[in-house]
Amino acid sequence: MDLTKLKVKRKQFIPVSRMLEHMTQDLDFELLAGFQGVERPVFSWDVNRPGLALSGYLDYFANDRVQVLGNTEIHFMERMRPAELANRLNNMFSFEIPAFVLSRNLMPQTMLLDMCNRYGVPVLRSTMSTDEVISRIILYLTQEFSPETVLHGTAVDVYGVGCLVVGKPGIGKSETALELVERGHRLVADDMVELKRRRADYLYAQTNRTVKHCMEIRGLGIIDVRALYGVGRVRNFKRIGLVAELEEWDDKAAYDRTGLQEHYVDIIGVRIPYMRIPVRPGRNVAIIIEVAALNQRLKEMGVHTARDLNEDIMRNNRGQAG
Amino acid sequence: MSEVTEEIMVVNALGMHARPAAALVQTTLRFESDVHIHFRGNTVNGKSIMGLLTLGAARGSRLSITCTGPDAEEAMSAVRQMFASGFGED
Repeated sequence: MDLTKLKVKRKQFIPVSRMLEHMTQDLDFELLAGFQGVERPVFSWDVNRPGLALSGYLDYFANDRVQVLGNTEIHFMERMRPAELANRLNNMFSFEIPAFVLSRNLMPQTMLLDMCNRYGVPVLRSTMSTDEVISRIILYLTQEFSPETVLHGTAVDVYGVGCLVVGKPGIGKSETALELVERGHRLVADDMVELKRRRADYLYAQTNRTVKHCMEIRGLGIIDVRALYGVGRVRNFKRIGLVAELEEWDDKAAYDRTGLQEHYVDIIGVRIPYMRIPVRPGRNVAIIIEVAALNQRLKEMGVHTARDLNEDIMRNNRGQAG
Repeated sequence: MSEVTEEIMVVNALGMHARPAAALVQTTLRFESDVHIHFRGNTVNGKSIMGLLTLGAARGSRLSITCTGPDAEEAMSAVRQMFASGFGED
């Protein structure tokens, strides 16, 4: 299985309507004007505060971003003469702007609202403070614009470490997940795991909205892990900290015997600790993954057993070398 | 079925540690013969990484190695070569 050649999806833009739908509750949004423009595209996760544009400087105007108007911008506009304001706004509206967002329940000049209605630029208003509005919009847009992919496998939260189990069909990924759930761990997704990158270095697995926490076990059919084991044994979202690839035992393959070397795999640009686990009858893969997760936590806490033990041995040998 | 025993010296500076142990085990596992290593009154299985680590074999240690089985000669030759090359270390 080549994890580096996954088909990556990444949105080029998102319509303002989608942002409204997802963020109305979060930001207490109210649509004040420019209703007809809600399908306007937002191209960037960043926001812009158009103070300089309002003051007449339009070089490098980041017009393709959501324009946030706070106390500063609103009061600045209030101090301008109407003719001057009209002129500045007209210049601004010669650019394509996805939307304006007002914070603190601020009420802008009628002129701005009129123009937004005329040009079809939505004006969204929130009751929250400007910094809160900005950070939530950026957080939301970053998530929307982050690359995502889907792969065959299973994702389980094992002792707080998100484990992504991959391997050929029939190798026992679902059975391994089931046994991990039996042992008290939490299923995130089975079979189709949706993966999403957040920030530059976090990879998250999420539950598919349709199949939720159902899984197919050969011989049993479809089972619902949440109904069978309870809500405490599932979760919808988990950062991945370990990738385990199950493969048929190959007598000729050289499996890692010491754990001295760290192996990683790149999944949509995120580097994740990786291990190959050979499977054969009588070998309890769930326990191996459980221990791998614990060992990963131990490493993150600064204890690297293989390395520490080997350093002791080498120090001893050096001391006794003839 | 044959048995061969040889005295072999550890030549690499760091002695028998995890990396050489893993490399040695990878080699000995290829042979059907049993491989045993005797050092300072202890005997360990040459197909066990943890066993090899317990030897505490520093550079200059002389190990007595016994291979027993149908391919004992070949196994001994492979083991000898690995020790002589210092497992690719200094």
